[in-house]
Amino acid sequence: MTEAFWIPFWILVFPGFLFTLGLGLVASYLVRKVSALVQYRVGPPVMQPFYDIMKLLGKEILIPQDAQQFVFKAAPLIGMAGVLLLSTMLGVNALWPERTFVGDIIVAIYLMVLPSLALILGASASASPHAAVGAAREMKLVMSYELGLVLAFVVVIIRTGGTLSLAAIGGQAPVIGISNFIAFAVSLLCIQAKLGYVPFDIAEAETELGAGVLMEYSGPLLAVWEVMHAMMLVALPMFLVMVFLGGFGAGGLGLLGGVLKYVLVLVLIILIKNTNPRVRIDQAMKFFWVYCGIAMVVAVVLATIGNIYGIARL
Amino acid sequence: MNWIRWLKKSPWVFHVNTGACNNCDIEIVDCLAPKHDIERFGIKLVGTPRHADALLVTGVGTRQAVPRLLEIYRQVPKPCVVFLIGACATGTGIFAGGYHVAGPVDEILKKEDPNAIIAYVPGCPPKPEAMISGIIKTLSTL
Amino acid sequence: MKQEELKARLEEIKDKLIAIEQPRDNRIYLLCEAEDAYAVDKFLFEEMNLRFVITTGIDSDDCFEVLYHFANDETGTFVTTRAFIRDHENPSIESITPFIAGAEWIERETHDILGIDFKNHPNLRRLILSDDWPEGVYPLRKACVLSKAKELEKELENEKDTE
Repeated sequence: MTEAFWIPFWILVFPGFLFTLGLGLVASYLVRKVSALVQYRVGPPVMQPFYDIMKLLGKEILIPQDAQQFVFKAAPLIGMAGVLLLSTMLGVNALWPERTFVGDIIVAIYLMVLPSLALILGASASASPHAAVGAAREMKLVMSYELGLVLAFVVVIIRTGGTLSLAAIGGQAPVIGISNFIAFAVSLLCIQAKLGYVPFDIAEAETELGAGVLMEYSGPLLAVWEVMHAMMLVALPMFLVMVFLGGFGAGGLGLLGGVLKYVLVLVLIILIKNTNPRVRIDQAMKFFWVYCGIAMVVAVVLATIGNIYGIARL
Repeated sequence: MNWIRWLKKSPWVFHVNTGACNNCDIEIVDCLAPKHDIERFGIKLVGTPRHADALLVTGVGTRQAVPRLLEIYRQVPKPCVVFLIGACATGTGIFAGGYHVAGPVDEILKKEDPNAIIAYVPGCPPKPEAMISGIIKTLSTL
Repeated sequence: MKQEELKARLEEIKDKLIAIEQPRDNRIYLLCEAEDAYAVDKFLFEEMNLRFVITTGIDSDDCFEVLYHFANDETGTFVTTRAFIRDHENPSIESITPFIAGAEWIERETHDILGIDFKNHPNLRRLILSDDWPEGVYPLRKACVLSKAKELEKELENEKDTE
């Protein structure tokens, strides 16, 4: 009874679909409200993201005749499934650390790629020139920031002694040090790109590309994309909190501290979003490959030196 | 379930110019700028008719633009509301009888889809406050 | 250039003009025949370095007029060449696009709406009339009545149906 009941419960209710979706809608509202306040206006009401999704569920689906039907319909579901599994895994590992396994951070990194991959697949199956350009740009963006993101996690793994397990990483108090700080900053920008927020909202660049990657989606399929985006707003900052800032159990403040850390990461994302213009794809690639790449190589070297010689500050 | 009640809370708009002098278009862009803050009504400007719930149509409906307007209307997933903005769109305005006019836009839309929901916002050009008032009044009567 | 220098230089092409009118201080009209308009415009653009603004086409009762507007930005004076095209059935004038590239589209528009043929124009295609507008119907000519245009359109549609 226990396993057969608990696993679907975790995936569908808590900390899976319903919990992540609810928290994601609140986070989505926070993003829009804070952006509005920064722009000296009022902003939407609290339930607005919920109204958006409910409205989209009631519209008809229009699928282009030349689109690749199966991939077009399956892509949003694949993306949502990836984020759902990621947030379920992170939530279960945070609350019951005995359930982690060696290598689960690798699984998490793989699951994080699924939403971007699904976006590229869906856009390529759309049979629209705007979506094709959006897909090409998203592909280049993904190829640019994935290296920085993985190297950031490598830094933390080196600092915490080399175990590929979320429990080992999350169980320690936040490790203060130069390499950690660099890794956190770079991974925050990579998360910004993965979420599709300014300055890296190149794939869905309105006023440049119509609606970019999501050009041909309408109705319930678009609602699934919006749900996926809301859930990414929960899963990705939570991942950052667990890896860099000490997670939800350690560091002395416990669960409340974890929530505050999550809000901190969210606020950082919103502030970066509101104070920057959109960059071109070649500028973004140069930024991630050259600047972030060099910074991450320096951070990895510093972390290795710090680990070998036992210097905590590095 | 009555989906119209969700449509009233979150109408996403797409702007179509069927041969206007651009005055109404400037006022629409003004309306969508942060000063009038239409995000508090849930209104968002989208880049494709496939995401739209409301079309903001300006212009008199020239011969060149009418087939394109019908194509865009067919691409908007129903249910949708069409707002005709400005004196030209509501009834050809000063261009009545002109050589380039293919007819008032609402008659063309009704011929294409007899169940089209059409709302009229007159003015030359209507102020952003008038447009917001028109949109809210229409949505509250649906 | 200053006003006096402007008027002094305009004397140089006086032999090509019918008349020079100056109704206001900052408005000068150079009246000429269609054949001389090319040379006058070339002189205004290249020798006097005036800025080309726009072209206007007028359907007067007995002739067509094509006005070329040039500006002298130092004094705010507009110098306009009024070219009279006496042939009312097949009006044509030499295009100034070869040496003023910016005149290409306004000449296309004048051709579309008034039917004036611009010789040596590199690209005299339809510009602002809709793609399904019948050829040979020029809307802004005084002789073109809208009902006649609709008749012509019905004729063309009937031809297409019987084909």
